[in-house]
Amino acid sequence: MFSLRHWSLHLLTMVCALALLVPRLHAGQPVVIRYWEKWTGFEADAMREIVDDFNSSQSRIFVEYSSVSQIDRRLTLAIAGGVPPDVAGIWAYNIPVYSENNALMPLRSPANEAGIREEDYLPIIWKLCSHREQLWALPSTPGNTALIYNKKLFREAGLDPERPPRSIAELEEFNQKIFKRSANGRIERIGHLPEEPGWWNTLWVQSYPDRFGAENLLGLRDGFGNFASPQNPFFTGRVAMVMQGVWIYNYIQNYAPADFEWGVAPFPTNDREKLGDISVVECDVLVIPTGAKHPREAFEFITYVNSQKPMEKLCLGQRKFSPLRACSDEFFQKHPNPHIRTFLDLAKSPGAIAFPRVAVWNAINADMRNAVNLIWTGKASADAALHAVQERQQKALTRSEARWERVKEPLQKSWNSQ
Amino acid sequence: MPGNKRSISFSTLLVYVALGVAAFAFLLPLAWMVSTSLKPLNETMSSPPRWIPSTIRWENYPEAIAEMRYFWRYAANSLWICVLSVIGTVTSSALAAYGFSRIEWRGRDKVFLVLLATMMIPFPVVMVPIYGLFKDLGWIGTFKPLWVPAFFASAFNVFLLRQFFLGLPRDISEAARMDGCSEFGIFVRIILPLCKPALLVVALFQFLYSWNDFLGPLIYLTDQRDFTLALGLQSFQSQSGGTAWHHLMAASTLVLLPVIVLFFFTQKSFI
Amino acid sequence: MNPSERRNLRNGLLFILPWVIGFVTFCVYPVLKSFYLSLCDYSILSPAVFTGWQNYVELAGDEVFWTAVSNTLFFAVFAIPLGLLLSLALAVLLNANVRGRGVFRTIFFLPSLVPMVCLAVLWQWMLNGDVGLVNDALRIPLNAINSLLGSDLRPPNWLSDARYAKWGLIFTMLWGVGNSVVIFLAGLQDVPVHLYESAEMDGANFRQKLWHITLPTISPVIHFNLIMGLIGCFQVFAVPYVMTGGGEGPGRSLLFLATYLYQNAFEFWNMGYACAIGFVMFLIILTLTLLANKLSERHVFYAGK
Repeated sequence: MFSLRHWSLHLLTMVCALALLVPRLHAGQPVVIRYWEKWTGFEADAMREIVDDFNSSQSRIFVEYSSVSQIDRRLTLAIAGGVPPDVAGIWAYNIPVYSENNALMPLRSPANEAGIREEDYLPIIWKLCSHREQLWALPSTPGNTALIYNKKLFREAGLDPERPPRSIAELEEFNQKIFKRSANGRIERIGHLPEEPGWWNTLWVQSYPDRFGAENLLGLRDGFGNFASPQNPFFTGRVAMVMQGVWIYNYIQNYAPADFEWGVAPFPTNDREKLGDISVVECDVLVIPTGAKHPREAFEFITYVNSQKPMEKLCLGQRKFSPLRACSDEFFQKHPNPHIRTFLDLAKSPGAIAFPRVAVWNAINADMRNAVNLIWTGKASADAALHAVQERQQKALTRSEARWERVKEPLQKSWNSQ
Repeated sequence: MPGNKRSISFSTLLVYVALGVAAFAFLLPLAWMVSTSLKPLNETMSSPPRWIPSTIRWENYPEAIAEMRYFWRYAANSLWICVLSVIGTVTSSALAAYGFSRIEWRGRDKVFLVLLATMMIPFPVVMVPIYGLFKDLGWIGTFKPLWVPAFFASAFNVFLLRQFFLGLPRDISEAARMDGCSEFGIFVRIILPLCKPALLVVALFQFLYSWNDFLGPLIYLTDQRDFTLALGLQSFQSQSGGTAWHHLMAASTLVLLPVIVLFFFTQKSFI
Repeated sequence: MNPSERRNLRNGLLFILPWVIGFVTFCVYPVLKSFYLSLCDYSILSPAVFTGWQNYVELAGDEVFWTAVSNTLFFAVFAIPLGLLLSLALAVLLNANVRGRGVFRTIFFLPSLVPMVCLAVLWQWMLNGDVGLVNDALRIPLNAINSLLGSDLRPPNWLSDARYAKWGLIFTMLWGVGNSVVIFLAGLQDVPVHLYESAEMDGANFRQKLWHITLPTISPVIHFNLIMGLIGCFQVFAVPYVMTGGGEGPGRSLLFLATYLYQNAFEFWNMGYACAIGFVMFLIILTLTLLANKLSERHVFYAGK
């Protein structure tokens, strides 16, 4: 219909227009990078401030912050679908499975270029960010666990509020002293309630339903479902001791009664000499997913967050301690959590451990949760439940290792060349 | 019903009672949803249950919308996908149904049996390869996977329309053919206008399906801003406890409202 | 073929072309690819590695898979007949000469319009052990029994108790039978009135009419609803997924085949394994549907044939 000349003219016009537009589009337009983060509420606000600081400190990169719920699922879908964000905030325990499935960009070279070294960080944090001899992430905010106890309940039971239990045996002793049953047979007060699975001597956990009655414990434990509320049994004084993390400060501020007195101590162990002060350390980390459109700019932002001033501002905002080795005095002075040094010391101690760095951690965790549930409700003995988990997860682990063996050579080659 | 006058009233009375009880049971949850949506948060968990809130909090609604952040965007997204899907479904299914019913061709009924068989393929079976297909096309993260397939006729709708088309007398087609009308012309000018109720049913069911679809948006949409209403409601479920039930119920009521309105306007034609 | 037959063939194929394209792209290709992927180890970001029957061997030894199978079967075995009975009962009641039939019909149909997520969160709330409406209603008779017998019966923690979670879900799904009620009602209204009249003249009562006339005449409709129910129940995903917040329920009692498939595909990076699960699902549904068809040959009575 139309002649070749007609079409060529059209084409020429278009090319000229584009040529004029393109420089206009690039000049002065910042590169927009998308940052998906899991936080909401005040934790999100703390990070948003840092993002705003970064955006206003330069005009080449603009970081778009999004609060994303169920971030690990959403991130998996986005990476699998080929449309990931440029920066994602996940947890350190996600790193093994993501990295082994080629979902993250290795960060050693950009870190070296930016002058970021292992010595800048607490040793356990660097370990959390690495896997299979590669660096995959840099921390945003860390967290660890300790024994949190209600001083007032200690006093009422005739215990010294400044003397927390040091061994498991002592813990149980204190537990018995604090334990009170109410008139209708339900539990009114209990010294300690093993709440989180995954790091427990499960025989010990099994003794709880045997001693206190599974139904009663379930009823009490269901109360923990409303963790972030004044009905949390720890806040209402029905439970005296729990194992919780550095984040508990925020919940106490928001939900506990005004006269709540609490103490922090390393969680009791049976072998303090060998194990040292134990604490489980986890870390919120920043990663760059495979297929991100602007990895350089993404890393620049991550570097900014990891510099001392912004990092301290972030951790202060979230009431956590800093993952960097260097820490200013001002940080401790300004920090509202009175026990922050205890948490930090625990993270530095040689007894600080991380979750097992395996790709099947999610499945193990789910299985352990299931097993503890069974033990709680008296449906299975600790031995049987754990044995079942062991069998299943061993198979899963073997399969995961087999897959790694199959793909590791080409993957490692490509990582080392980046 | 047989029997004398007295037993007629008694058994009819029983029927009314049974229906009344069932209707009450069916409506109760919805009434509860609306009631909870107007309560202040501390009353949502009260035991024994309160039906009338102490103060009717109409503010729950704007608060829920604000908390969901992109509520109006979600609504627009849902609407956009629904409209496109309805257009696609009605046109492609009508075309296919016509081909399976108003034209005699060799092997037609055998192919139709194949179509029926495809209704048995559960979506999860084909989910992964279809996901891979959309990923290769670069459509993940866009709306396309949610409405483009509608343009390729789903077995259920073809089945429905075919039964309806079969019910129309043969002679009108024959007469038109003898007058030299093309097959497509017969389709558009004669058959379609006679089938408006059936087409409306197909359109309505497709709209409902797309509006309520959860799994599709869950796996195909990645950016939180692109979600549909059905998916967006999930953002109220907080992972560490403390769900705002009053807001969640308010948002749910809002998501349900368009469906009910649509239903009321179209129910005469099919129910 | 003569020219008119050829023209009809061409026209017929043209009209069904959109369906054919869809059939090849969304049925044939994915089913074949799914079978191939089920024989591989595939995590979508790395190429698929052929591993033969390994996935199926693993499935056979995977307790979680068998838990999912038994959960799905349990759900189907109870939800389908209960759903059919309830919807048929309601349809029969509506079919009687009642006034305000339209209102009742609307009320029963309304819940099936509710979006899955709304349904899930609403019932998650209704089934709450402490403050849910269902337990509030149950406490009335239970407290009466308690005061009579001195027992301490408490209504269950539906969604936190592995023994009751599935019943909670079945209860939830029963609320949405409105669709089937409408279809049954349409079928009931198609029953020729003269059949009832001649039966009445022979002195048949309500139960006899139901058993000998109504049920046989609407047996194709029952068959249709049964098949649809089968296919639907085996794919149940959205409601338990939202109710458990994307999890498996207490003691994995709400883990269904579709949920396990989704988990493996999109959370555990095991897409090959997920395809194997999908294929097994397909075989189960196919077998059951064929069984249902075989049974129906003897019991379903097509008036037209």
